[in-house]
Amino acid sequence: MKKNAYLLVLAAAIGVAVTAFTYRSDNSGYGLTLGNPEIKSITALAFGPDGILFIGDSKSATIFAIDTKDKTTADKSSAIDLKAVDQKIASLLGTKVENIAFQDMAVNPLSKKIYIAIQHSDGTPVLLTIDGDKIQAVSLTDIAFSSIALNNAPAEDAKDQRGRSLRISTISDLAYADGKVMASGLSSQEFSSTFRSMTFPFTSKQEAASLEIYHAAHGQYETASPIKTFTTATINNKKYLIASYTCTPLVLFPLDELKPGTHVKGRTVAEMGSGNQPIDMITMNTNGKSFLIMSNSNRPVFRVNFKNIESFQGSLTTPVEENFATEGVAFVNMPITNVLQLDKLDENRMVMLQRKLNGSLDLWSSDNQQWLLQ
Amino acid sequence: MCNLIFFVFHFYACSEKSSEIQIRWTGDRATGLLIPEGVVKNPSGNSEQHITVHLIASPGSVSMLGNFRKQNGDIIFEPLVPFTRGLSYEVRADGNPVGEIEIPAADAADAPQLVNIYPTQDTVPENLLKIYLQFSNPMREGVSANHVILLRNDADTIKGAFLDLQPELWNEDRTLLTLWLDPGRIKRDLIPNKTLGTPLQQGSHYTFIVDGSWQDTQGSTLPGPYHKLFFVLHRDSLSPDPRQWNVYTPAAGTSEELDINLGSALDYSLLNTTLRIENERHEFIAGQWGTGDEEKNILFLPEKSWERGKYTLLIQTRLEDLAGNNINRLFEVDVRTETKSKTTADVVTISFEIN
Repeated sequence: MKKNAYLLVLAAAIGVAVTAFTYRSDNSGYGLTLGNPEIKSITALAFGPDGILFIGDSKSATIFAIDTKDKTTADKSSAIDLKAVDQKIASLLGTKVENIAFQDMAVNPLSKKIYIAIQHSDGTPVLLTIDGDKIQAVSLTDIAFSSIALNNAPAEDAKDQRGRSLRISTISDLAYADGKVMASGLSSQEFSSTFRSMTFPFTSKQEAASLEIYHAAHGQYETASPIKTFTTATINNKKYLIASYTCTPLVLFPLDELKPGTHVKGRTVAEMGSGNQPIDMITMNTNGKSFLIMSNSNRPVFRVNFKNIESFQGSLTTPVEENFATEGVAFVNMPITNVLQLDKLDENRMVMLQRKLNGSLDLWSSDNQQWLLQ
Repeated sequence: MCNLIFFVFHFYACSEKSSEIQIRWTGDRATGLLIPEGVVKNPSGNSEQHITVHLIASPGSVSMLGNFRKQNGDIIFEPLVPFTRGLSYEVRADGNPVGEIEIPAADAADAPQLVNIYPTQDTVPENLLKIYLQFSNPMREGVSANHVILLRNDADTIKGAFLDLQPELWNEDRTLLTLWLDPGRIKRDLIPNKTLGTPLQQGSHYTFIVDGSWQDTQGSTLPGPYHKLFFVLHRDSLSPDPRQWNVYTPAAGTSEELDINLGSALDYSLLNTTLRIENERHEFIAGQWGTGDEEKNILFLPEKSWERGKYTLLIQTRLEDLAGNNINRLFEVDVRTETKSKTTADVVTISFEIN
């Protein structure tokens, strides 16, 4: 008993010490504090500098930056070929495969380790890493993190009878470029663009500028539409946001024109068919060529040569000509279908989560398939 | 609470101490197991064994991810995600089974209900943009496309009528879902509109069906299917105009509802979030908003009785009708012929008086 009592006192003392040091600053230089981020959902992932992972939490309308401490540089990762990866993950989580959903995937550009966000059917979010055939959980407690809330809802924002806010916005995609975190979002109420650009490290005086982004369809009808997925790229020495909408694909915006409070018109460079949703977009620079690779809900993976986008140069803020948008930039249908998640593994390889024809959900890297990017 | 404690348990190992593996609950979620000391200790001595937890019937023999910690000699296992209701798990010590436990299925009495489908009226414009589903319980996300069907004239299933968004648009507690009819098919001249036409077409009737296999977050299914019939009228290309609204005021000294007649149905969710009332001193009047009569009017029940005097109803101009036209701008603007917006103000007002 005495020993137990001693252990209890010791445990209490350690507890006090741990509490005392919770929420102290870390030394990453990114303004992070140590503690437990209350992440309620993980709907988008993107890597920033030095192993910092940005997590889009739609449920709490917050972007978290967490220090993964995963900073060891690897030039090349091991090949990935995980058959029925959903079965493997479901078993690790102690549930059936129909009770888990893949939310997003991001590759750490330093370690080349794959990070996957899973949501359990009861809403619990899980962050996993995949390295070769090793699947491990990433702890989201006692870590260095910072966060920025996207909803600056006024206090009197109406609630329903049970006091719940009715206005919800989700984070559909995240990216980090040039010291800025960019997030596209959808609102449950208005079919509008909630595209935000935030400097990182996050500051208390965060503008979280919401940009008013329009795309002009055929120069006639103009609507504010939400961006589903996006990436950034340099075309003709100018940096662009390449956005894909829920209702019409590929629109280009010069990054330097995206300023808070401005009415920015994008240029539609391609419509890629109806009844389809863009899922992911990445840029691959390989074999001296630059490609935009785009996975889709109801189409094969598209490959667009940036040279073709460059050749569409013109006035960037005027609506496109009528036949311009309908013809659009030439693109190639790659012989890969049902790709649910897509990311760049390294300079020469992509990693894909693909529903195969036999029904198996496989995670694989495009090793020995350089012809895909030629 | 009694029925929430586990019951299936087979004890294979140590019997030196009366012990049972217990489920630890957080609300209605099975978030941990208490594995008693007797199971943990090696029968031959005090040396501890390596404890793992496995889903029975899972392919292979994978041990679950989670955290183990000690509490008074017992082991607490907290899995990364709660145990699944209705499934069985095995506890192993150094690879040998030492206990089995079943997580009871959710109580049938707690099954979810589809409480309402908005808009509630049975006529809608051809360019209807949103449908809201209100449930009684938090529902499983990401699966609405598998459970919602739109049937035209009792015969044809309309494929691709709704945007399949991931993540879906749920409120925070996952009881209200926003479904968008594919805007690419509603917006004139976009390829989806040209090739497939609008999801709803004037003169037809449609049945919106929510099937009964949709599960809530605890695995209970809706008792459905639910059906709602819509008749489709002409395209709505007019913005809502608060100047046409009628405000019916209660008498001073009462706590009765203020009733605002909107003339036509407006968006359910926005109606509940875009209005507020101030008195002459610009003080916010606390109370409860609620839609009435097919979202063609909105009611405000004040917390305190009305004082005699002048009031202002403030309306955020992002308030939309059923077709996504808001007070400032139409859902789609013809840049060649139409003025972009009547006003750019964020808020418009209506004055009224309580006597």
